Amino acid sequence: MSATRLRLPLPFLASVLALVLLALPFVGLLLATDWQHFGFARGDGAAVAVSLVYSLLALLPIIALGTPLAWWLARHRLRGQWLIDALLLLALLTPPLALGLLLATIYGPYGPAGQLLQRAGLLLTNSAPAFVLAQFYAALPYYVIAARAAFEGVPRELEQIALTLGQSPWYSFVHVSLPLARLGLAAAVALAWVRAMGEFGTVLIVAYYPRGIPVKLWVNLQNLGLHAVYPLLWVFFLTALPLPLILGLAARRRQLL
Amino acid sequence: MRVDYRIERPIALHASFDVTGFTVLLGASGEGKSLLLRAIAGLVPAEGEPFGGLAATRRAVGYLPQGQALFPHLRAWQNVAFALRGTQRRAQALQWLERVGLAALAERWPGTLSGGEQQRVALARALARRPQLLLLDEPTAALDPATRDDVIAELIAEVHAAGIPALAVSHDPVLAAVADRLVLMHGHRIVQAGTPEEVNARPVNGAVARLLGHRNVHRGRLGGAPGDAQQLLWPDAGVALPVRTKLADGIEVDWSIAPLAVLVHDAPAAPATAIAATVEVCQVNAQGRQYGLRCGRERLWVALPPERSMPASPRLSLPPAAIRCWPCD
Repeated sequence: MSATRLRLPLPFLASVLALVLLALPFVGLLLATDWQHFGFARGDGAAVAVSLVYSLLALLPIIALGTPLAWWLARHRLRGQWLIDALLLLALLTPPLALGLLLATIYGPYGPAGQLLQRAGLLLTNSAPAFVLAQFYAALPYYVIAARAAFEGVPRELEQIALTLGQSPWYSFVHVSLPLARLGLAAAVALAWVRAMGEFGTVLIVAYYPRGIPVKLWVNLQNLGLHAVYPLLWVFFLTALPLPLILGLAARRRQLL
Repeated sequence: MRVDYRIERPIALHASFDVTGFTVLLGASGEGKSLLLRAIAGLVPAEGEPFGGLAATRRAVGYLPQGQALFPHLRAWQNVAFALRGTQRRAQALQWLERVGLAALAERWPGTLSGGEQQRVALARALARRPQLLLLDEPTAALDPATRDDVIAELIAEVHAAGIPALAVSHDPVLAAVADRLVLMHGHRIVQAGTPEEVNARPVNGAVARLLGHRNVHRGRLGGAPGDAQQLLWPDAGVALPVRTKLADGIEVDWSIAPLAVLVHDAPAAPATAIAATVEVCQVNAQGRQYGLRCGRERLWVALPPERSMPASPRLSLPPAAIRCWPCD
């Protein structure tokens, strides 16, 4: 008994301290919010609409392009694979501000892709497409890496059994791979969603307008002060986080993450 | 059905043999048995017949991998219906489950079924595809020892009832014993084929004898030319045994003796040439008793008739006619 008592405290105290530190900012928000005079700044509503609609739009190409790539990466090994892995990690690890600058370089009004697309009538600076583009780049690597892990968790043998049962690879993908990876894929979508919603640095460079929640928070802070960000911050937490939180907890329970 | 396959990678192997009824391909781990099944199913690149050149989806095989691999997100009947199309798929799936005696479990999830039940669902699923050849990978590996003889018996009865040739790969002598036909693989090639009686009566080498589950297969060397004076030197036990073979002096051999053929003496009454041994383990089961006796660095298994008991300090003699020798590879 005494030995247990002696061994417990240090890790236990460290854990409690870490958890308190983690919780502190959220408790701070709860206490700092002026609930009596809870009101939004001008333009907050539009920012919420922009963030929600464009984040949903960004999810479409992320899922459409990222899912096949994730499945392919989970199922194939080729020479030079490390190059692909490195590219994914590079995209994941590039600081958002730097990523924004890179996007401006290539898709901006003077960039090669930007000029080409502009001739086709697609302006990728300070426009809705630019906003979605920034979110796409910010969230895609997270989605691909999480979705790859989800597909890697599906026993390859089951996909092969589906083939030996006379079904096509596509049928096998839809009826075996997708259902078995569904929880991990949902977690990947949630991760992409929260990344897209919360992206500030990349969006700031290529799409200061239209203003989404993160940029509007920054503008409120600059123009009106800290107290003016809390209502919008609450909206951000309530819209961006529930889905990833629920899926994260579910996935953790099934030991997927 | 004639199977003839050549695989280059990851293991180079060539296998050519007939599959009739329930055929068991017996081989040690790492021989490439599972690889061969996967090649026949079209899941790894290989050349051969039947089904050569066809995509996996077009090969009429019923493939049961190790551990059955039922789809965990589908109920038993949905697993069986996986290969079926049309509005009647549920009814057809239930018929197949009925055939393997599992109609009552149609709504169950695979995780709630026993190993034997899962195997029957997997068999029903494979049969529903209407295969020309069944492929079974280590079908006894996941079975509960208490029920496995019955599960094997049911499996074989169902395979016979289906009337489709079945190829099971295994390293399990128990499964080999119930095969219609036995094919033995050693060194990535087929070394022997025949009925279990034929193969057990005359294993072509020591490796085959070991695969068949024969006990007392050991390494030794012959001393002296064929004739009355020939001896088998058994270095690990430090003894020389009189032996009668047609093999030349000095060659290395695998040799074996059946546990029942070993003669056991009590030390005071033992012949001078008998080998000293100590009892290591006594194995008792419904079939009788076998003793593991330590001889030097080796162990000899000895079966005693029920009326005899093991002497306190046993001495063993091995009748020359009961010793079988194979030259080593």
